[in-house]
Amino acid sequence: MARFPYGASAAVMAGLAVASGAYLAARRAHKPRYDLRLWTFAKPHADAYLKMLPDFLRKHPGKSVDIQIVAGEAVTSRLQAAFWSNLDVPDLAEVEISWAGSFFRGRLESIGFRDLTERIHQTGLWERIVQARFAPYTTRGRIFGIPHDVHPVMLAYRRDLVEKLGIDVERLRTWDEFVEVGRRVTVPGKRFMMELPPEGLSALEVMLFQRGGGYFDAQGNCTLDNEIAIETMRYYAPLVAGKHRIGNDLGGGQIFTRALEDGYYLFMVAPDWRTKSIEQDVPKVAGRMALMPLPAFYPGGRRTSTWGGTMIGITKRCADPDLAWELIMHLYLNKEALAEQFRGTNILPPARDLWDHPAYDEPRPFWSNQPLGRLYANLAPETPPQYTSPYIGLAKAKLSEALIACVRYYDRYGVRGFDGFVRQQMARAAAEVRRQMRRNPYLHENA
Amino acid sequence: MKTPDTLADRAAARPDTRRRRPPRRDRLAPYLFVAPFLILFLVFGAYPLIKSVILAFYITSGPRDQVFVGLENFRFLLTDPDFWKAVRNTVVYTVWSLALQIPLGLGLAILLNSRWVKGREFFRLAFFSPNLVGQVFVGVLFSVLFVPQYGLVNRFLHATVGAPLDTRWLSEPSLIMPALILTSLWMYAGMHMVYFLAGLQTVERELYEAAQLDGANSWGQFWHVTLPGIRHVLIFVVIISTIGSFQLFELPWVMLGRSPGPDAAGLTIVMYLYINGYVSGDLGYASAVGWTLALGLLAVSLLQLRLSGALRG
Repeated sequence: MARFPYGASAAVMAGLAVASGAYLAARRAHKPRYDLRLWTFAKPHADAYLKMLPDFLRKHPGKSVDIQIVAGEAVTSRLQAAFWSNLDVPDLAEVEISWAGSFFRGRLESIGFRDLTERIHQTGLWERIVQARFAPYTTRGRIFGIPHDVHPVMLAYRRDLVEKLGIDVERLRTWDEFVEVGRRVTVPGKRFMMELPPEGLSALEVMLFQRGGGYFDAQGNCTLDNEIAIETMRYYAPLVAGKHRIGNDLGGGQIFTRALEDGYYLFMVAPDWRTKSIEQDVPKVAGRMALMPLPAFYPGGRRTSTWGGTMIGITKRCADPDLAWELIMHLYLNKEALAEQFRGTNILPPARDLWDHPAYDEPRPFWSNQPLGRLYANLAPETPPQYTSPYIGLAKAKLSEALIACVRYYDRYGVRGFDGFVRQQMARAAAEVRRQMRRNPYLHENA
Repeated sequence: MKTPDTLADRAAARPDTRRRRPPRRDRLAPYLFVAPFLILFLVFGAYPLIKSVILAFYITSGPRDQVFVGLENFRFLLTDPDFWKAVRNTVVYTVWSLALQIPLGLGLAILLNSRWVKGREFFRLAFFSPNLVGQVFVGVLFSVLFVPQYGLVNRFLHATVGAPLDTRWLSEPSLIMPALILTSLWMYAGMHMVYFLAGLQTVERELYEAAQLDGANSWGQFWHVTLPGIRHVLIFVVIISTIGSFQLFELPWVMLGRSPGPDAAGLTIVMYLYINGYVSGDLGYASAVGWTLALGLLAVSLLQLRLSGALRG
């Protein structure tokens, strides 16, 4: 070491650098290589796929598949970074519905996922799957993701308390009827008819989609200021504000558990996935819960909506898109495996021909022995579309601001000037979204 | 050894002070030692910095789709109500944070500097330790503490001052900023205390004795001896706190569930930058926001230095 021209410390540092680099390089060389790598953010999905994988590998000998769980929103940022840098891109990736639009911002050619439009039509998938569920993963007329689910929405309720109060759910066919009953049974601070957030968008979105509205239309234009959106806000705000409010929200997690146990809410919005959350988080109400379709906004109207979703896409880096497509078909359209998955997650698969499995007719003791699967399957064909945009995050933020402003206004002034105020707020929200959208030079190509 | 005799001998015996060119190896050594840092700095520091300046004049969608727009990003920024909301939130947070954290930090430092306090090292560690765990951890912790009905903050306030149990700190727009300020007070007061403690220990005791002899009470000693003595530390703490406050992002992002919160009540300038750059994908606009923030901070820091007199010779 004394002979090293720059001294002992430099020699040690150089030696450490070379040794660690060599170790990392050698380790990387031993990393197993898979034919397909799939990223998912949901452990229940990964668990289900791992069960289905041996069957797929038997049909494709010599092939290997790696399923990786990437946590939460990290999958979106990591995937976006991977697309931009062209490094460590998986072959397939599941993306949550609220993040899907962020991948569709630039030119169509720059989107990191493959265009699946032709495959979907050629293989008949377009007819098999509830078509509205392709909407969130479509941009400029091209489809980039296969939906994992439908997520129809019902109302979950405390059957024991509702019966005790003498409420006949069969007579709650419209929201007007529901609200009228709600005003009778709500005791502010102790009991609310329904879990309705005064500041959050979950229930407002459900109503907006139920009415056939949304943030954007099929062409990607912002629709926050159309009559449907204005009417929905005008209807919703008085439900959570003012003297005759029927809804409130304390939050999620343990708060929600306690609130449901205590009967703080009687009804709550329940997409299929949420019924499993309720089963897991509030076991004490087992046998005392039940489900009913959403009340309609007008007699004979739609009695469901949608909340949440996941897509799977094949990335452009995938070397074997045909194999990737077969994997998707196996994971997303395997009747037996999906029925088993339904038993564990309560999530209805999106293809109609899968719903005739007996699993969907099994009575569920937690839900007063109702056939949970059949109830959701009956409503699923009416699930409304949710059109997407790279600006969905901004649109949600603006709608949230409008909601808070309208709730505050109604609390203070009631109906006096409320209609005009709602219009003004929704127009402002839409204008700000459009202002941002105008800056994007790529958005309206092929429209 | 031969004793130098002639002039030539004496010259030969004197050490040769002429400048000799060192060997090439020795000339290269300094450059080789700084090369790793320099390479890393050029690749991960200078290049991104220069690139971000250029990007600020483009609208981008990822690194490949870019359209040159000149000053349009800056023009849009200055007319975007969301940006001004972020600025307003950030300024409010900064002002209140400085107003609470610095006096509290100084007060704790003065207490710990007192001769009568035992276990000073323990208290120093206890007050400083929140700063060690990072904003994400603190954000997760306080999002649980602020839970309505069952959170410790509401339980404590209900038990002491009768505040309602269902106070919604993180979903009521008017309460989000107070929640963030309280959280950062817990996190950073200890850090300021450490700086002030170091500054207090440079103030000579004789000055206090002299002040006492001149009849100064505790307040007089604080105002005429302590404050001038720690002036340089105070200026430093104010400036770094201002810069740190303007860079607020992780705390509200984690506490508000990776969003600016209802009515964007928790939207800060860096959060606005992040949302536009990494959620919406317009790195060009995010660069414009970043440079606007940097120049704004520079201006604020220079103003603080000028007002404090630190710039005077």
